[in-house]
Amino acid sequence: MGGVGDVERRQSLTYDHRITRFQDPSILGLVAPALQLEDLSRRFGERVALDHLSFEVAAGQVVGFLGPNGAGKTTTMRAIFDLTDLDSGTITWSGTAVDQAQRRRFGYMPEERGLYPSMLVGEQLQYLGKLHGLSPRVAASATATWLERLGLADRADSKVESLSHGNQQRVQLAAALLHGPELLILDEPLAGLDPSGIDVIGDVLAEQARAGCCVLFSSHQLDQVEDLCESVVIIDHGHLVVAGRVDDLATSGPRRLVVRIEGERSASWLDGVAGIEISEVRGGDVRLVLDATVDSNTILELARKTGRVTKFVFERRRLSELFREAVA
Amino acid sequence: MKFIVPALVLIVLAARLRRRRRTTVRAPHAKSDRLRGDVTLVMAREVRERFRGRVFKVTTLFVLLVVAAAIIIPVLRGGKTKIETIGIVGASTSALRATVASSAATVGLSVHLVSESSIDAAKSDLGAGRINAAIVNNRAVLIQSSLAPTDISSGAQFVRTLAENLGIAKAFRDANLSSSQYETITHARTLPITSVQPGSGRSSGRSPTQGTSVIGTVLIFVMLSQYNTWILMGVMEVKSSRVIEVLLSAVRPIQLLTGKVLGIGIVALAQASLIVAFALALSKAVGSNLLHGSAPFVVVSTLVWLVLGYSFYCWVYAAAGSMIERQDQVQSLVLPLSLPMIFGYIMALTGASSGSPSLLLKVLAFLPPTAPFTMPVLVGFGAVTWWAFLVSAAISVLCTVGIARLAATVYRRAILRTGSRVRLREVFN
Repeated sequence: MGGVGDVERRQSLTYDHRITRFQDPSILGLVAPALQLEDLSRRFGERVALDHLSFEVAAGQVVGFLGPNGAGKTTTMRAIFDLTDLDSGTITWSGTAVDQAQRRRFGYMPEERGLYPSMLVGEQLQYLGKLHGLSPRVAASATATWLERLGLADRADSKVESLSHGNQQRVQLAAALLHGPELLILDEPLAGLDPSGIDVIGDVLAEQARAGCCVLFSSHQLDQVEDLCESVVIIDHGHLVVAGRVDDLATSGPRRLVVRIEGERSASWLDGVAGIEISEVRGGDVRLVLDATVDSNTILELARKTGRVTKFVFERRRLSELFREAVA
Repeated sequence: MKFIVPALVLIVLAARLRRRRRTTVRAPHAKSDRLRGDVTLVMAREVRERFRGRVFKVTTLFVLLVVAAAIIIPVLRGGKTKIETIGIVGASTSALRATVASSAATVGLSVHLVSESSIDAAKSDLGAGRINAAIVNNRAVLIQSSLAPTDISSGAQFVRTLAENLGIAKAFRDANLSSSQYETITHARTLPITSVQPGSGRSSGRSPTQGTSVIGTVLIFVMLSQYNTWILMGVMEVKSSRVIEVLLSAVRPIQLLTGKVLGIGIVALAQASLIVAFALALSKAVGSNLLHGSAPFVVVSTLVWLVLGYSFYCWVYAAAGSMIERQDQVQSLVLPLSLPMIFGYIMALTGASSGSPSLLLKVLAFLPPTAPFTMPVLVGFGAVTWWAFLVSAAISVLCTVGIARLAATVYRRAILRTGSRVRLREVFN
């Protein structure tokens, strides 16, 4: 990761407005792309769910799949498992069109959780493991392993309906992981979880990615996504808006500068300076967005002339800011 | 008998031919093995969960109790009204006495014969209870009250058997050992049983097999209603619990659907076999004449049509189940779906009670939605040839294939649509 080719690829990005809009859909393919979605379109009556959506996800990465409600995230995920028909577009895995045999090697946690309510947890997981091609012995072993890993070892003989929401969620995750999937698609896996549940799932996803699994998950909890993901894909109205590594996105685009001058509560010292945008003045901090033509040293000199500079920091954009800008 | 044996032979031959084709023409394929494996997994889960469920245990026990009551109560009632004395109007030949004695022995009775001077005298003795039945000039059997269609007591069975045997004896006499003897015997007709007091308009000339076919029809209706409800609720549960998306991420809709209907079908067949075996064993133990004459073939026919009926209706109910996801939506679907079954059931019972198969009954026996109820009744009447039975079964199988394809399409398109009830026109748009 991060080799010359990667740099060249990143340099090929073009920018639109204040956010990064990648014209190269393979931006996430910093290693060999595994999952490729190309030109997906889906219309439900008058409503456009997917509008020529294209992006790639590389193996060994945890990728956050973001977008406002109704952006098309769930439709995209369901399309990967052939759970919704596409009007057009192709989905490939390692270069070949995804078929039923490949889907069997994928793991899926749908947005609307679903398990047989009156079936025993252990039996249910073994059954689902066998449907994914595991032998009975391996399915039993994998069930025990994952229940132990997710802190549910003592609930194997409980009915699913007797578990709490959080524990049902863990069983659902175990169902997606049992067969050692090559691709893990999780729709809102963090919804409704307490912090310890989020930590457990975060650890598991990172572990899966380290093991070479390709992980794509959607969430509205952007702080958690920022912590968990190396890359994100943001879509809106069914088409791609932003995609890239979180670090790159956070530092890309116009530079954002925070300046504090002792005794100065306003930004009047910046009057007349071209190429800057004052985004916020609060508690003595002045937040600036610098044009590419503006030299930050000019700003520093100007600040020094005004008073004693106590803060001069280039600020990294939070994912939540990126998201708001992307879907604004 | 005349159609069951050829039917079984054809089924065995077809199965052997299919097996030979599979082993010689097509090599086993890993992909198809995998598909079959998935269906087997789904089916095995369904069987396990159904057998384990409380509903299965309770309903099985309930049906067994009802069947036991249906067998034992008539026998107990029959014990109080055993025919002990038979009046003879006209000549009392040794052949007649032998026929009466053998008919009585068949149902475990002993009889005492008395001579009656006239029909009026016989009627008078019947009214006074001095005799239980009278044979009038070797041409009719006279009893006091008409036999109820479901009366399978030894007394009622004796009257039916006696009438049948006298009819056969008459055919033998008519044949007069001539060259047309065989032809005459094959056209033997049961003598009419005439009651002194008018009945409810029904003929009392019911053979023992008709009683069995009525019980079989009732069982088919009860069981099909139960199994179809299982299918409907099972499919709806998979949809409402949202487990469907997890399942369909691993298997195809048609595999899931096939596994479910096969699984419930196996449970249904096991339950039906248990009930029939129980009924046969119990009837033999208590001396009921449920298996008299050709009744075993009616039983086999009932089982065959239970399977064919289930095969036809299970797809319809599975498709319907995929279109709903809430309990309140079930009611609006169940009634219209049940109408063909209810119609076939009522027509079958009405036909069985009428004493002779009507043209409508014969037509309905060839329509797949109603054939499971009406064809066993025709078999009970002995009013269907083996080839007609096979034709009806073949029509049912062909229609089942078409219905299954249609149901699979509906299932695939509707099962993932959540929210309000899915309409058929939405599915095909």
